[in-house]
Amino acid sequence: MKGLLKNNFYATLPGAKTLILVMVLVGAFIAAVISQSLLIAYIVLGIIGFSEIALGIAKDEFSCKWGKYKLTLPVKRADIIKSQFLNQLLWMAVGIVFAIIVTALSWLLHGSLFDTPLDTVTTFVMGISMSLFAGALFFPLFYCFGEERGNVLIGLSLVCSFGFDCAIVTVFNYYAKPGPQKSLLGIIILMAASLLAFGLSYPLTVRIFKRREY
Amino acid sequence: MESILELKNISKTFSKSNFTLENLSFSLPYGSILGFVGENGAGKTTTIGCILNTIRKDSGTVKLFGQEMQDDDTALREKIGVVYDGDNFPGFWTAKQLSQVMSGFYSQWDHALFQKYLQAFGLPETQKIKQFSRGMTMKLAIAAALSHHPQLLILDEATSGLDPIMRDEMLDVFLDFVQEENHSILLSSHITSDLEKVADHIAFIHDGRLILTASKDDLIYRYAVLRCKESQFQMLDPSDVIAFRKRDFQIDVLVSDGKTAEKKYKDIVTDHVSIDEIMLLLVKGESL
Repeated sequence: MKGLLKNNFYATLPGAKTLILVMVLVGAFIAAVISQSLLIAYIVLGIIGFSEIALGIAKDEFSCKWGKYKLTLPVKRADIIKSQFLNQLLWMAVGIVFAIIVTALSWLLHGSLFDTPLDTVTTFVMGISMSLFAGALFFPLFYCFGEERGNVLIGLSLVCSFGFDCAIVTVFNYYAKPGPQKSLLGIIILMAASLLAFGLSYPLTVRIFKRREY
Repeated sequence: MESILELKNISKTFSKSNFTLENLSFSLPYGSILGFVGENGAGKTTTIGCILNTIRKDSGTVKLFGQEMQDDDTALREKIGVVYDGDNFPGFWTAKQLSQVMSGFYSQWDHALFQKYLQAFGLPETQKIKQFSRGMTMKLAIAAALSHHPQLLILDEATSGLDPIMRDEMLDVFLDFVQEENHSILLSSHITSDLEKVADHIAFIHDGRLILTASKDDLIYRYAVLRCKESQFQMLDPSDVIAFRKRDFQIDVLVSDGKTAEKKYKDIVTDHVSIDEIMLLLVKGESL
């Protein structure tokens, strides 16, 4: 597992370096100006951005023979998949850290741009749940339909994850009774659904990957 | 003789391409090099895929170090080094990063040995692999395959992109590797001159079928080719003929015992045969 994590880290790093630079520059600007919509976009897109870069490495490994070569190393196929799921969580966490820092800076400079603390949490949860849904969709689809469709599947999983979030929020708003706990319940449902999808996606991806031939 | 690798009746069919690997059986004894020869698309890479479990075989058994390797048998894979043709590693890595990654995979990864190979092969440690020439990437792959002290090397067209001087250097490395009696190499190649230099045994594969397995010495010193005229060809005992090929004015006939054939067919010219010519006769020739 140590080798796989190192492998994933080195594979993600070149793309992440560029994104980190962009996040620092854009984050400084967003912290300086007073704009709730820009801050929301920064939080959600930052978290998703790092997750997407982590997803991309699965695809990149098959642009050379490394994806096949890895199967000859002393690792189990299930561990290869596990490391990719962990890698996505790791880089999502990096995105969360950036979002927290810029939100805190903005709050220190201008006070909170959100109406309530729960609104801030909701924004973070939107980014996290979309990232989790995207990963949950991408990995099984990638190993099912093949590496040559990697780019399309990344885009598709992102669009679908946005759709899932919107659908859950819409259905929740339609059925949930108005009340003080409604927002909190919505956050919990969104997180639970995305975590469940991510958790179920892992054994499914392992199952698919074990049948794949290279 | 005990075998480090043993394949028995391996079959695999790809329904989309209609290619079938048919009942392939051969073994690789400890301390030897087996040259695995065949034209492009003959099934060499598929066979290696079945050995390494990157491809699921339909039937048959593959034994590595006396046991069948499953996905969970990571300890077995510690003892195997692999080199594929082409780019084995991501181009954005450096050799130094490759060593760091590999040390996480192999418990016996020997950084000093890897450094030694890098120096011996003239490979820079901090240059990105994508800036390497094809020969350099192949040398790097060979260095990586050797640096965790494997017992078995599986090389799939590992010398195909190298110039003759580099190939000769690599062949010396392979010969050094098999000096230890528990080390072996499966060397898949269509460059038969390489195999003539280093292989102890040679297995010919054609169209998914193993058509001949023999020791290199037998092939070079016992096998022969008879240069016959049409009338002489008609006189031959069919049981002596492994394969024949009609040329403009003669028919080349591959026989497994040149000396006996020379005595038996005194008026026919008998020549030594190269592995290249054996391959051509087996692949392009006909049998009686």
